[in-house]
Amino acid sequence: MSINVLVANRGEIACRVLRACKEAGIGTVAVCAPNDEGSLFTELADRVVVLQGDTIATTYLDQAQIIEAARSTGATAVHPGFGFLSERADFARAVSEAGLIWIGPSPEAIEKMGDKMTARQTMRAAGVPVIPGEEVEETDETDALQALREAANRVGYPLLLKASSGGGGKGMRAVHDPAEFEQAALGARREAVAAFGDGRIYIERLLSGSKHVEIQVLADSHGRTIHLGERECSVQRRHQKVFEEAPGPTMTPALREAMGSAAVAAAQAVDYVGAGTVEFLLAPTGEFFFLEMNTRIQVEHPVTELVTGVDIVREQLRIAKGEPMACGDLMIRGHAIEVRLYAEDAANGFLPSIGPLLVFRPPEGPGLRLDTGVREGDEVTPNYDPMLAKLIVWAPSREEALQKMRRALDEFVVLGTTTNIRFLRELCDVAEVVSGNTTTTTIDDVWPHGWTPQVDETLLSASLLAASAAESLGLNRQSTRGASGDLSDGLNPFQTISRRFP
Amino acid sequence: MMQHRYVGPEEPVEVNLTKQGDAWTHDGHRLELHGERLKITLADGTVHLAHAAKTGDVWWVHLNGHTFRWERMEPGATSSGHDGGLAAPMPGKVLEVLVDVGQSVTAGDALMVLEAMKMEHRIVATSGGVVTAVHFQANDQVAQGAALLSIEESN
Repeated sequence: MSINVLVANRGEIACRVLRACKEAGIGTVAVCAPNDEGSLFTELADRVVVLQGDTIATTYLDQAQIIEAARSTGATAVHPGFGFLSERADFARAVSEAGLIWIGPSPEAIEKMGDKMTARQTMRAAGVPVIPGEEVEETDETDALQALREAANRVGYPLLLKASSGGGGKGMRAVHDPAEFEQAALGARREAVAAFGDGRIYIERLLSGSKHVEIQVLADSHGRTIHLGERECSVQRRHQKVFEEAPGPTMTPALREAMGSAAVAAAQAVDYVGAGTVEFLLAPTGEFFFLEMNTRIQVEHPVTELVTGVDIVREQLRIAKGEPMACGDLMIRGHAIEVRLYAEDAANGFLPSIGPLLVFRPPEGPGLRLDTGVREGDEVTPNYDPMLAKLIVWAPSREEALQKMRRALDEFVVLGTTTNIRFLRELCDVAEVVSGNTTTTTIDDVWPHGWTPQVDETLLSASLLAASAAESLGLNRQSTRGASGDLSDGLNPFQTISRRFP
Repeated sequence: MMQHRYVGPEEPVEVNLTKQGDAWTHDGHRLELHGERLKITLADGTVHLAHAAKTGDVWWVHLNGHTFRWERMEPGATSSGHDGGLAAPMPGKVLEVLVDVGQSVTAGDALMVLEAMKMEHRIVATSGGVVTAVHFQANDQVAQGAALLSIEESN
């Protein structure tokens, strides 16, 4: 069966999916908001439909407009990427009802896993261990607060508050002291309502010293469900992953087998079809607990691809067409590490930053992969997620992979917008990262008062020479865009980058 | 000899640049322009290529894995150090104002909650003092750099 795929996403993941379609000989349609016209991903698609609207809600989240775009361009399948509508069961249902193929699991599976409280109950029933905690169903704010406080006292402190519809660290709060509870609960509810339209919160015991280990699963419609081993993503800032690797540095074959079987059981419990990830917390005792299942492709999927040789997006396309998946039995070779490059000020609480990418020069060489949705000359705006790129390395051993990552980060030049590159580079030298003994609190443990860069005084002084000489040499002819990045004057934005050195 | 000044953490940073033939020197380091490439020989003799780009008054420099950001001060300008005002780090919406005018705060106290990029961000006091003005209310949109509150520092 031949299909035409509409990618209902933007940025880096849209590029990833569009390229996989091209490799599979599949026609593609991109949809973009007006402020994304000309973005890299729109140039990789056969056709582009500009969604009409000036907010995310009226563009990338507008189900009717996206389905109409598929209809008008002859697309026969929809790939949701991650974020946006990827875990919206109502969208999966609407796509199917419009006669299109949904590249993902059934709406029922998304619903069972997407509502985190329902997922915990489903997993308990399937015999998959869950973190001790309680679900609170009340929706009225006053009643919910009261019920949450009582549940918190039963679960005990320290604890985690999590939004039932949550993900990506939104609507999540750690509470160490009952005195902080009310403010944290209100903040989590408010963030959850704003991000997901659902303020229901559940409570989990905070298992300190744990690792975040997740299992990639694949299931086709021919009855085969397999796992592709683990990824360790313990290193997180603000509950968002920044450093991911496969295989897990402390994993054993026996534990991989146990966690892999639990992940397959979790997928089978909801009749899962497609690519998905079952996330676990791995306690220092060796016990593991179900966290949640992400019913979509994940940001960090490349590390699994590099060590298993499986193209997960390509398998998603095969499975969506009703074909059996092509990958064989699990074989893990070498070690892969991914870091997420963000436009953010790591020295200032990881606050997102914006600005022009005057220079964007990724490293090169054997064993490197760059997944990005931007290129030199683009503007980082506050409209979307501040992730600029994922830098992934592969090497025969973990030690060599880490060395390669250090070299690659040192070579990565981004000027015009503050990024976390230096933070990631220092992370590669942290003792826990070098030894592989990372936990979900490593960043907070290493930098309890926030990260500040180790400044090399020699380079600092030489950088003043570079700035001053460049100025004196007249290398500073102003770009026509100025600092505001305003393109409305209609001048060629690439005039900016013609004035970069080298 | 050419003098350049940049905004520093406290005092302005002054650079006295010397030109010797085609090379520029400062603090024992030497820079030559090779085509469009900035070749830097550090005082220890090692050679590195620098990348530099300018936006507004700011020079961005990448050198050997480190990125530096230098804001130029034109001759005669005074330090643009902060005057006790707290600026919005990026465009967003005020979710909550946590302090009142006249209230005493200490460094680290949360003053305001902003929503930007779908996440909540706390604006915290960088020094102790008394809140003399609150310029925005909950639900107001703020532009990057907008003064959110004013604090009179106490010593």
